Amino acid sequence: MASLKCIRNKIQSAFILYSNANACKLTVPHKMMSQYPSYYISPIYNKDIQSAMTKAGETQKLAHIPTRAALIDQTCSLTHDPEVSLMINYIMKDGNKILARSLMEKTFENIKRIQIQKYHKCETEEDRAAIILNPRIIFHEAVDNCKPLMYLTPIKRGGVKYQVPVPISDKRAQFLSMKWLITAAKEKDSTVRFAYQLALELIDAANNTGRVVKKKQDLHKQCEANRAYAHYRWS
Amino acid sequence: MLQSIFRECIIKSDIRLLSTVANIQLKERSPNFRCSESNPVNHTVDNLAQFYKIPKEDEKQLFSHGGLTKTFKTHCQTFNETCIMIRKPALDIINSLKHIDYSKPAYRFVIYGSNGSGRSLSLAHVVHYGYKAGFLLVHVPWVGDWMRRCKESSVSTLDESLTDLNLDAALWLTHFKNQNSHFLKEEQFKMSRDYDWNKREKILKGAPLSELIDFGISRVKYASQCVVVLADEIKKLSTSGICKTLVLIDGFNAFFHSNTRIFKEKKQIVPPNKVTLTKPFLNLTNFDWTNAAVVLCLDGIAIGQMDSPSEMPRYLLGKEGFEHVDPFVPIPVNNYNEKEFISCLEYYKDRKWIQQYYPELEKELAFVSNSNPFRLLEIVASL
Repeated sequence: MASLKCIRNKIQSAFILYSNANACKLTVPHKMMSQYPSYYISPIYNKDIQSAMTKAGETQKLAHIPTRAALIDQTCSLTHDPEVSLMINYIMKDGNKILARSLMEKTFENIKRIQIQKYHKCETEEDRAAIILNPRIIFHEAVDNCKPLMYLTPIKRGGVKYQVPVPISDKRAQFLSMKWLITAAKEKDSTVRFAYQLALELIDAANNTGRVVKKKQDLHKQCEANRAYAHYRWS
Repeated sequence: MLQSIFRECIIKSDIRLLSTVANIQLKERSPNFRCSESNPVNHTVDNLAQFYKIPKEDEKQLFSHGGLTKTFKTHCQTFNETCIMIRKPALDIINSLKHIDYSKPAYRFVIYGSNGSGRSLSLAHVVHYGYKAGFLLVHVPWVGDWMRRCKESSVSTLDESLTDLNLDAALWLTHFKNQNSHFLKEEQFKMSRDYDWNKREKILKGAPLSELIDFGISRVKYASQCVVVLADEIKKLSTSGICKTLVLIDGFNAFFHSNTRIFKEKKQIVPPNKVTLTKPFLNLTNFDWTNAAVVLCLDGIAIGQMDSPSEMPRYLLGKEGFEHVDPFVPIPVNNYNEKEFISCLEYYKDRKWIQQYYPELEKELAFVSNSNPFRLLEIVASL
């Protein structure tokens, strides 16, 4: 009986500690982390979703929940695409968003130009129908095609670092895919513009060819080769 | 009573429904944004806001040495055709050119408007009209090229106080020769008097005009002076009734803006009135001749003002320039109206330039671009 009480006290004190730690988190946010407490929900800025929610009567539930302010690129514009704005953020250097955005726009323009030229060169209707002209579809396909399924992480066992294949979260896979596309576009002649090279890379990747897709396949091969180390993940 | 009214209403609404169906079918049959007539002489008010195609051979003859902007040309390449929208300013000029009395002193039209509203393309439309209607074309594609980014400058051989832009002048002579090649073959186009260039080289009275042009192109040293002589000769030919002349100058206000990028030896700025090339074109834009019309286009960019405080002729030309062209017919070029805007979007969709389209997007694009043609082109580029 006494031992049970002891355990209960221990659990209680642990809970208090935990909740205190939580309180600390709320009042003193980490450096460079969100200024919003964790219970703030992110805003719903898409008008379609908003109207769907009003129809379903879900807006009333959210009415009194504290909500974060919308970010500067979260607009209700019909052309808005969260994945594209993420890519813009990855391209951005020194907070120069205007430049990054213009580069992305220029990339889409170049993709369209290249594809339309191909379209006009085709003679039969079937060939023409096979060409994707929409730059955003090409972009999404390219990013999907470059996403790795696994990646290698160094784990130290017995004083030796092993490159251990581990599964990858979708978010990290997306980040790596976009990063690889951007770095591939930066490896170019000084006379070629970034936006043009990125357009070429995206078109290649959408067709499942090109440097970035090869990089992904190389990584997969490396993971396959290092499968013997896989158990180091947990032992 | 009530029943009969009700029945009538139903019948009426039925008729309306039928008529809208018929309209839609008509639209599908002939796309409303395209004009099948490629000759600007036949364009009428019915063709407003429609796109017409400039034939390849015409484009090659008229615009191979400038006249269409670089951005427009790249778009034409992607669209696989050169199309210009028929708009009110150009059509107004064309209509008046059809009806004015050419025995009166030269009429002057001044095109002005905000950046990106389509002044240069309106001018290109008039150039095409002038070519089809049988005018002798004196077309300067962009005066800014001379005053702000000249290829080379040197002290004039005939007058020490003047500066020659000989390479540009020679280029312009080839442009002139290219545009008017069909005229220069005719026998009536000959020199009215002798010109001695130096001891050995001279052009005699009665020699064909093409000899003067070829001389200017081959002896680049005299190119600027050749343009001066050519302007005189054209004026005489036109006044004597041999040809009708249409003078078209884009960026005309650069002839009156004191700040150029032409420098003398000690980096002194040369004002436009000390440039030899200014003289012939001010001469041609004067009203002291007949059988001619003058179309001028004003642009802040031609004088290096990317965002000029005003787009009005009085500001851009200054006092001196305004007095030079006064009296003139002002032709404002505005942003797209609703009909033109929709027609433009239709054209872009037809050329596969807008890939991501929803009907609601129209409103957003009109708002964001302020219906400005160039801004619209920029915004639509990434869609």
